[in-house]
Amino acid sequence: MNRIDRPLLDAHIVAERGDLLLQVAIQVEQGEMVAIMGPNGAGKTSLLYALFGWLPIRSGWILLDGQTLDAPGEERPVPPYRRNLGMVFDDGLLFPHMSVEQNLRFGSNTKSLDSDLADLLELTPLLSRPIQELSAGQRQRVALARTLASNPMMVFLDEPLSSLDPSARAHARDLIKAAFDSHLAGGLLVTHDPADAFALADRVMVLENGEVSQFNSLNVLSTQPATPWIANLIGWNFFLGFARNGTVVLANGSEIATSDSALQGETTVAINPGSVSLFLEAPGGSPRNSWYCQVSDIQFVGDIARVSLTGGIKIHADVTKSAAAELGLRKDVAVWASVKATEVIVQEVEG
Amino acid sequence: MRTRLPRRVRIVALLVIALVATPLISLLLRVPWARIPSILRQEFVTDALVLSLTSSVLAAFIALFLGIPVAILLSRLDGLFASVTRAVMMLPMVLPPVVGGAALLFAFGRRGTLGSALEDASGVVLPYSLGGVVLANAFVAMPFVVLTIEGSLRGLDSRFELAAASLGANEFRTMIKVVLPMVRSSVIAAGVLAWARALGEFGATITFAGNIPGKTQTLPLAVFVAMETDQEAALAMSLVLILVSLGVLLTMRDRWWPAR
Repeated sequence: MNRIDRPLLDAHIVAERGDLLLQVAIQVEQGEMVAIMGPNGAGKTSLLYALFGWLPIRSGWILLDGQTLDAPGEERPVPPYRRNLGMVFDDGLLFPHMSVEQNLRFGSNTKSLDSDLADLLELTPLLSRPIQELSAGQRQRVALARTLASNPMMVFLDEPLSSLDPSARAHARDLIKAAFDSHLAGGLLVTHDPADAFALADRVMVLENGEVSQFNSLNVLSTQPATPWIANLIGWNFFLGFARNGTVVLANGSEIATSDSALQGETTVAINPGSVSLFLEAPGGSPRNSWYCQVSDIQFVGDIARVSLTGGIKIHADVTKSAAAELGLRKDVAVWASVKATEVIVQEVEG
Repeated sequence: MRTRLPRRVRIVALLVIALVATPLISLLLRVPWARIPSILRQEFVTDALVLSLTSSVLAAFIALFLGIPVAILLSRLDGLFASVTRAVMMLPMVLPPVVGGAALLFAFGRRGTLGSALEDASGVVLPYSLGGVVLANAFVAMPFVVLTIEGSLRGLDSRFELAAASLGANEFRTMIKVVLPMVRSSVIAAGVLAWARALGEFGATITFAGNIPGKTQTLPLAVFVAMETDQEAALAMSLVLILVSLGVLLTMRDRWWPAR
């Protein structure tokens, strides 16, 4: 069997944790990073624990690179420590009685400390420090390095950036991406932040109430959200561009004005589809961001119409069903889309 | 900043402290300071001192070594079985030590449940020997170990074990390298508590190991005997016990409560 053909992770699990019944089928391809999102209590962390063998599964199977880790009724489950899975926790969980270097060397597959990895994650000057002296961001980087240094086949990240402040997040995201590209076969990333999924994941699995409500690329999730929760949270428009004096220029030449006139350099832009207004005529007044677009698709989720636009800019707008009817929106209709500069959320991409 | 301490609380507290200190001070007032060097050079006193220190330290280590696995087990158990097991393990702490000593005789005496088999197999006779003293001391000291360490194991975030497993550490390595080092301060506290209990042990020792000068007569037993024959010697030995205990309490204070 060709190694590349089979998925890295193939799991179909039924498990219980408290009141929650978890029923999930998941496949992760070789080299793929899948983001797991969902409301609080939907079973995201429970899913990681079940795959780990920390939470017993009632039925189903877990295959990692073709090896059976668990299949109730058929084989004894492989104990967690022999599953070859790494895990990075939201609070790092560094061993407090060890130095940074001792933490990094703890992994049983860690023969010698990978100095490239320590350099990549900017840890080399910290190696002899006790854990207590590290900042939240440094702890998180040590936790990631500790996991990668133990050479797991796959890594689970449980909200790895949630303890960081927003300015540290973008940087940490870049480091995670760099570390993953060079060190890992694949991973699962539990996150609340669509920006994490946007930056790091190839596909997104949304869990709601213990079940998968959608599992697809971020692009499909934002154009065709399966549930109102997805429409609300993942439906954000994301752009990558270059800012000059507060205006972000995108790769296709579209411009987005922001409220921060000092903004310079490479920038990510997030716009809530609910902040995009649609007009049949060029809007009066002075919203600086107005684009002449064509409707490429309309999806109805609950009371919301999600309108996908192309032309002046590729963007999604959420309007009410009745507003969509009033505007007579359907495929290929031309509309003006506008967004107030104050509704544009920007984040500079660091170094 | 805190609210002012109510005056009656302060007065009662100071009175109680004075009340506890009075017997100790009365004892110090009677100590024959000039005779102390000659008393402490007497053979039965040096024997008792050495015996006490050796047996209490040995007993503390044994109580730690045997108590830690029990503490780990209990920290993982819940329900009736756990409650019953914990109660049994705590009994030596609550029982009158004499009863504990008697129970030890029935178990490890020459005709005891295990004692006769032990003698047949290895020729070892525990009652009325140094081994008996250590056993009696460890028996009464172990509950302190189990209680102290189980408490902090239960307070430990179990996800640290998951983190260790995710790095490939098996259960035993996780226990030795992560879990026990993380409760290190309570392991030390447990050892000191066990040692303190063993040092002051009287009832179980005299019942199980007897009161043989130079062999099983520990310092507390020697004090008890000397109260009848030579009060000044009793005072001198009491002074040694007080100083050693006070010294340990003061050096260990950071382990038990934050020093101010």
